[in-house]
Amino acid sequence: MLRTEIDGIKIDLDEKMSILEAAKKAKINIPTLCYEDGLSIYGGCRLCVVEVEGEELLKPACATEIKAGMKIKTHSKKVRELRKNLFELIIATHNIDCQLNCLTCSRASNCELKEIAEDIGVSKMRLEPIKRGDSVDNSSYAVIREPEKCISCNRCIRKCEEIQSIGIFTTANRGPETVVTTFKNRGLGNVECTNCGQCILSCPTGALHELYQKDIVLDILNDESKHVVVQTAPAVRIAISEPFSNQAGDIATGQLITALKRLGFDAVFDTNFTADLTIMEEGTELIERIKSGHRLPLFTSCSPGWIKFIEHFYPEYLDNLSSAKSPQQMFGALAKSYYAREKGIDPENIVVVSVMPCTAKKFEAKREEMAGDVDYVLTTRELASMIKSAGIDFLNLEKSEYDELLGVSSGAADIFGTTGGVMEAALRTAAEIITGTELKKIEFEKLRGLEGIKKAEIEIDGLKLKAAVANGLGNARKIMEMIKAGEEFDFIEFMACPGGCMGGGGQPISCDDNILEKRQKALYKIDKNKKLRKSHENPYIKKLYDSYLENPGSEIAHKLLHTKYKARKI
Amino acid sequence: MNEVKSLFYRESLLEKLHEIQNSYGYIPEIEIENLAEKYMLPRANVYGVISFYSMFYTEPTGKYIIRICDSISCHLNQSDSVLNAVKSFLNLESHQTTEDKKFTLEIVECLGHCGEGPVMMVNNKIYKKVNKNTALEILNNCL
Repeated sequence: MLRTEIDGIKIDLDEKMSILEAAKKAKINIPTLCYEDGLSIYGGCRLCVVEVEGEELLKPACATEIKAGMKIKTHSKKVRELRKNLFELIIATHNIDCQLNCLTCSRASNCELKEIAEDIGVSKMRLEPIKRGDSVDNSSYAVIREPEKCISCNRCIRKCEEIQSIGIFTTANRGPETVVTTFKNRGLGNVECTNCGQCILSCPTGALHELYQKDIVLDILNDESKHVVVQTAPAVRIAISEPFSNQAGDIATGQLITALKRLGFDAVFDTNFTADLTIMEEGTELIERIKSGHRLPLFTSCSPGWIKFIEHFYPEYLDNLSSAKSPQQMFGALAKSYYAREKGIDPENIVVVSVMPCTAKKFEAKREEMAGDVDYVLTTRELASMIKSAGIDFLNLEKSEYDELLGVSSGAADIFGTTGGVMEAALRTAAEIITGTELKKIEFEKLRGLEGIKKAEIEIDGLKLKAAVANGLGNARKIMEMIKAGEEFDFIEFMACPGGCMGGGGQPISCDDNILEKRQKALYKIDKNKKLRKSHENPYIKKLYDSYLENPGSEIAHKLLHTKYKARKI
Repeated sequence: MNEVKSLFYRESLLEKLHEIQNSYGYIPEIEIENLAEKYMLPRANVYGVISFYSMFYTEPTGKYIIRICDSISCHLNQSDSVLNAVKSFLNLESHQTTEDKKFTLEIVECLGHCGEGPVMMVNNKIYKKVNKNTALEILNNCL
């Protein structure tokens, strides 16, 4: 046991840990900037320095292991003075040369630098801002980088390399010339970026954000000649209230629909509907592949970050991907064909907007194989900002229902928003189709939870199915290496982001603790409270096949709902 | 980043970069990609290492790399007049190469002969106590 004293508070510790972690146990907050839970320790910003009795120099709390008998002062005069000075130096590298640019920054409403300034009690700014003159990186369809706002905390570098196993960012040059950049400064759109947007969630400044389409969408909504329809992804409804309430885990489906109607969308539909449809198409594919034994394991294809990852890093396995388009793209294709026909609207005048927890969906919508299905993609964050700027009192809105035809969905579709959900939804349907009898228990507990990799053997009517679920691209890579090493699977769900879509790069930036657990709980709650919980029982899906698509995997279904992939260079 | 460990030790990367630089005169992109694969590192990471060291180039350099020290000792001995003379003779700024690919100019930190400055290097050869006239003479001998 380690007995130590932090700010006069005696604490006993059972295990090794850093001063920072120990302070947290003593309910003391030490300000940090380059530190992030789950990433390696960098120790570059020095804001977490503390005084250790008997040591001449101040020690970074994140990178110093606590030892028995240590007496630590976390907020002494000396420490506070130094923190203020350091902060001034850091801020001088962050484009604050100002023209009130804090007001227009992507992080205006939740700036981490502002929070830190408050934590360390900054009272003056004496330094002229350093102007590097770097231009904005606009090369990507999904993620924009403003290097002038970067303070080189390296969190994006570590997130991309350690969690996602990609590593598109690096520091280049040396000393005061050090910058964060991409390979040969090519820009995010010209390297092996998967567009997952996890770097945005890690960035403490506004140096990284999505490519904004909110202003174009507002313009289109004002265009009387256009019929603008919107679809909302499963993970949006359980996160959209966060920027308004600062707490995670609230279900706000009804308010979300009302807000979209108030913004002026002509019809408000649900990506859940096409999630159910994905299950029909992908489930059929799974059953066929299991019967024939070809192209197994089957990989899910809903996550566009994962798709770009496999195209870059494992192109030899592209045949294993389900050919089914993602729910977002299926929706776009149907809105401009089936919906247009049913409503008698010229598809030329239909504009499809999606609200996604995802930045990679912006890239997906631009893929030439599916060009035109979806016109604009907004992130959950962008929609929250649109709702705010339209003066809508979101938290107190009355609830509404989705429009019919493309708006009714099963609980199986709701859980698409969490890791393990697509797999569970597919099994609910595949099991009943294979056995022809009703499933007694539709919850697959082994596939739930937040572990990076989950494996389960599922028995359906004597048929044993080896399933695996991976979330986060680092875990996806681990599974791909297991396959290369000869491990056998039948069906694997891959999601690019930790936690699945609910942890997507387009979601509100953390305002609460344990957001993934809370969001996940909310999704399972929606599913549990629905009467309709299996995709193949959705009456509007049945109607769609009866009146338009014939049956899963039909010629017209293939034309509208399936796609191809391509190998990409690294 | 992978479960599978690279057969190459990370520490030997610098040595490999020197070998490549010595054989090509610079480090071509294809070699960066090969190294990234062998060492199981992101290519951005290898690029970051290259850019950290001023002696590595990712583009072809001139036949003669002119390095002029402008650290304190040389500066006090008027390395700036040497530098200005060379700059205007070659019509180059630091880290640039002439169009005929003959000269690359680099302003560098200490070359290790502080007692005998200003110091200038042409490829691997050191010239000490240069002034603007001797510097231009050295360049003329390269032509």
